[in-house]
Amino acid sequence: MNPFTYTEPATIDEAIATLSRYGEEAKLIAGGTGLINLMKQRLVNPGYLVGLRRLSELTKISFDRGLRIGALCTHRTLETSALVREHAPLLAEAARQVATIRIRTMATIGGAVAHADPNQDLPPALIALDARVKLRSPRGEREVPIDSFFTGYYETLIQPDEIVTELAIASAPPASGHAFLKFLPQTADDYATVGVAAMVTIDRGRIADVRVALGAAASTPLRATVVESALRGQEPTARRLAEAAALVADIVDPIADFRGSAEYKRDMAVVFVRRALAQAVTRAQAGGRGV
Amino acid sequence: MRKIQLRVNGETIAREVPDQRLLVDFLRYDLGLTGTKEGCSVGVCGACTVLLDGQPVSSCLALVAMAEGCEVTTIEGLAQGDRLHPLQQAFIEYGGFQCGICTPGQIMASKALLDANPHPTRDQIREWMMGNLCRCTGYYKIIESIQAAAEGKTGS
Amino acid sequence: MGILRSIGQAAGHVEGPAKVTGRARYSADVTLPGMLWGKTLRSPFPHARIVSIDVAAARALPGVHAVVTAADLPEVRIGRFLRDIPVLALEHVRFIGEKVAAVAAETPEAAEDAVRLIEVEYEELPAVFDPLEAMGAEAPRLHEHAERYEHPPVPPIGGDSKFHPFTNVCSQNLFRRGDLKLGFADAARTFEHSFFVPPVHQGYIEPHACAAAIASDGKIDIWISNKAPFIARRQLALAFGVEEDRVRVNSTSIGGDFGGKGSLMDCALCYFLARASGRPVKMVMNYTEELTAGNPRHSASITFRTGVTSDGRITAHQAKLIFNCGAYGAFIPLHFVHGGMHAASGPYRIPHMEIEALRVYTNTVPRGHYRAPGAPQTAFAIESHMDMIARELSIDPLEFRLRNVLIDGDESPMGERWQHIRCRETLMAAAEAAAWNSPKPPNVGHGIGMYERATGAFGTSGATLTVDADSTLTLVTGAADTGTGSFTVLGQMVAEELQAPLGEVVVLQGDTDTAEWEDGAGGSRLTHMAGQATLVAAREVKSALIALAARRLDCAPEQVAMRERRFIASDGRELDWESFLSWAAEHAALPLTRAGSYVAGHPVEVTCYSAQVAEVEVDRETGQVRLRKIVTAHDVGTIINPLTHQGQIEGGLIQGIGQAMTEHLQVRDGAVTTAHLGDYKLPTAMDIPELSTVLVESPTGPGPFAGKAIGEMSNVTPPAAIANAVCDAVGVRLMDLPVTAEKVYAGLRAMEKRR
Repeated sequence: MNPFTYTEPATIDEAIATLSRYGEEAKLIAGGTGLINLMKQRLVNPGYLVGLRRLSELTKISFDRGLRIGALCTHRTLETSALVREHAPLLAEAARQVATIRIRTMATIGGAVAHADPNQDLPPALIALDARVKLRSPRGEREVPIDSFFTGYYETLIQPDEIVTELAIASAPPASGHAFLKFLPQTADDYATVGVAAMVTIDRGRIADVRVALGAAASTPLRATVVESALRGQEPTARRLAEAAALVADIVDPIADFRGSAEYKRDMAVVFVRRALAQAVTRAQAGGRGV
Repeated sequence: MRKIQLRVNGETIAREVPDQRLLVDFLRYDLGLTGTKEGCSVGVCGACTVLLDGQPVSSCLALVAMAEGCEVTTIEGLAQGDRLHPLQQAFIEYGGFQCGICTPGQIMASKALLDANPHPTRDQIREWMMGNLCRCTGYYKIIESIQAAAEGKTGS
Repeated sequence: MGILRSIGQAAGHVEGPAKVTGRARYSADVTLPGMLWGKTLRSPFPHARIVSIDVAAARALPGVHAVVTAADLPEVRIGRFLRDIPVLALEHVRFIGEKVAAVAAETPEAAEDAVRLIEVEYEELPAVFDPLEAMGAEAPRLHEHAERYEHPPVPPIGGDSKFHPFTNVCSQNLFRRGDLKLGFADAARTFEHSFFVPPVHQGYIEPHACAAAIASDGKIDIWISNKAPFIARRQLALAFGVEEDRVRVNSTSIGGDFGGKGSLMDCALCYFLARASGRPVKMVMNYTEELTAGNPRHSASITFRTGVTSDGRITAHQAKLIFNCGAYGAFIPLHFVHGGMHAASGPYRIPHMEIEALRVYTNTVPRGHYRAPGAPQTAFAIESHMDMIARELSIDPLEFRLRNVLIDGDESPMGERWQHIRCRETLMAAAEAAAWNSPKPPNVGHGIGMYERATGAFGTSGATLTVDADSTLTLVTGAADTGTGSFTVLGQMVAEELQAPLGEVVVLQGDTDTAEWEDGAGGSRLTHMAGQATLVAAREVKSALIALAARRLDCAPEQVAMRERRFIASDGRELDWESFLSWAAEHAALPLTRAGSYVAGHPVEVTCYSAQVAEVEVDRETGQVRLRKIVTAHDVGTIINPLTHQGQIEGGLIQGIGQAMTEHLQVRDGAVTTAHLGDYKLPTAMDIPELSTVLVESPTGPGPFAGKAIGEMSNVTPPAAIANAVCDAVGVRLMDLPVTAEKVYAGLRAMEKRR
């Protein structure tokens, strides 16, 4: 790694002030599992690393008409938290499947969304949960729906002097079901060839609401609105689910890599969207929200 | 350079290090604790696993500065003098290692598992240990060793 | 033999306490006073002429003590057999990653920074990456003066052998038996199939590491992750231009070898950096360097043409094996890829046969050995080929093999006259354990893979055994500990021979000054060869102890027997062990040391077989292959240590599964693109199948206590068994590895289109 100065601010405002002071030269580091790797390869060379370890107020999880998750909560915390498992089991299930136990004890949800690796598992889950991202900067606080958060390949709308502070997730209505499928045709510790997160709410036998999002299917995490539109108000028959899933082929733009060619990933997106929808529907019909 | 203070295997350590010093290099070269190994350097193989406040981490991806004020446990901190930890004993009796290069990481990861879940099922063991690669054993005897330690079936 | 006490004991590794506590020392753990770190500059081009190298800026960097290029070294080439690779690139670079210059500095960071400051001007040359293209008339020539490369005399194995017969061909081997024309004339049908096996890496978790220190008296101390320290010493002495006794290879544990740690890798360079800087130097490869510039397995293009009678008996078999050697041939210890040729006839009865094997230079990373070198590639091809023939003839693949495998009394196609052939028994045991004939659910399939390999019996082994006054038996071996459990097995042999509890036996790896010559690990030879040497030493010790006891008992040594560690005179008087020890110590007769040496004589007469059956389930929508179960059946002799024996089977199996399904060292335009373990996927604990091991035991091994080798068996046929199982499950036949979901998916969609 190139030399750098490491600082650990005691408060969020101090962290933001440091970012403002050093601009592009500074980078935030939480768990560091993504950033340290990039720095070891000298792909990213910040002069200043701002460590967030001391900001304990960002490690809290609370529930008040909705789940509020501090940005420094680790994947392991999400996986094991009783509040997350009850109120957003999709997120707990996605967190549990990320990489390995060592990565999960260090990597944070704030780091995951800021890193914006399109192959990650949490972003599609957060999209399917209609999460909102809270950010703070010298200009104050703002809240952004996760739908608009990812703007490009490893790019988000976070400003250089801004920090993610919290993820907010509204409670799903009763008779909602979730699914998280991570297609791993090689080894179990790999990135997904395609990942699908789905939330379905059933009302009087019809799909009242549905959200479907994919990872590893484009240069950003992808919300499949075309699939959602085809299903809203419909009966969740196997044929309807299959027809809706087939529409995802037109919106994915997978990047070919060691996990699959673009064509294969496109075909698998269709298969796994269908399977995820089926699983979410089954759970919704079984009384909803069960893990 | 920065001054850091942390606890390693129960002992308070104070040193001056460059900011970019990785935890794995600090342990191996600043402290001479070469029991922790470096394999892949990208956080995949788990050979560098140590416990940070009881949690398994990749020491090749952690700055030692991020361990300031924390409790680091390495393989050297497990045995009590000549008395091996039940996991260490089990790995010997049940063939949980061959060349031994991944073994410190395997044992530290499995200690974290048994601390979190004292009676894991075989599937839970496999899922937790999935991040510790081994090229020699094929994993079967690593799983057996951990099961034996959990069930108290060690020490002859 | 009577009742055995230590042989057959499932003893834990004797080096266990060191390994589980982190005290075991590997080469990267070595620290020496004043030690510097060495780093290398590697070529970014697959083929180029080096026009100039400017090291001035690098030399001037604070903390840098030496910068070397080929101009600073003696002009020497090194290699395990063929010595064709220079220590640093000489005038040309021939693969991306070839070492061009090196730095020794106070810290690894300073060394890396200095490497970055070295400026090299290259003149790019046309490069060739594919062996078939490399053999073409238009191909760029990699080695202008290949005939000058030195090597030991070529041993008479592998048929007719030639080094450098044509441009870009490192070696050619031709083996013939009978008359192919006659054989094909006898055939009712002839089948020809071609297969491709890509490169894979040995995947040892410890990257290569080494250290060198030169004392004021000129003694050179070396630490190196190499499984044959005495052979390494010889190669190093040649490279340094010194006598062998000037070099001492110290003992370190090795973090996985699998055939990939038999070369000097960076070690000769490390010495020259130590010489240039006047300080000890350590070099540790990072894993990207391992994957891109180590010595991975040969990729192979293999074609078989086989003639069979109408009832499926082989009459003729022709094989062409083209191995991609990479840019240099230096990384294998023979003139050819031995296991590749041998496995080309499988375990089958073949009256007329021709095998041609070529090792071809290309501008890619040089290839080395990996556990049964050449065999997994060839076994994948031949076992797939036989399965395809069986299916074409509508004969069950098990039945087809039973009709063709060797039985007692047969001569093998390579001309070997094995005794106690247990091939059919091993195959039947595997089939039975896999419930071969039971009905299967849809999309589930079974596939067979078979392999034959004799116990390694070559070279020289030595051992030294000492008895101390406190009853400790110390065995010193020159073999390096690569983790296979060999030290434990040798300890058990000592305990058995001297009727001692295993706990009183200590096994140490000596350095090359203190240990007897030992050719080291490789070719599954250690249990047999080092074991025989150990027994010689143990028997010498036993005779010496009996002679001492005879003095104490005041009779002739011939009148004393040693039973249950008691000395019994022919007149019935007895001397117990403790009394003997105190008497011997009082009379300064202890410690007592004897050495033993064993040189391979005639080849072994017994071989061993393995048969595997894979059970897979294919998801037709995705092509994903789920490995439900593997049966691995082994024809074994006396098992000296069931724990370490089974460990070898299990570890080999999972390596085989990696090669079968998840590992593919991808090379594009000469560059290895799977450059770290996030992209080159080794199997994890979640990827292992249910395993059933079947041991077909018979006390017929050539080794000590009638043991056979096991180390290079179970890794060979998983690719074939799995590919055959996939075909059985859903009818998709893959002709190359690895078996991936995407390939099976493509095969399924193609089949649908054809309907």
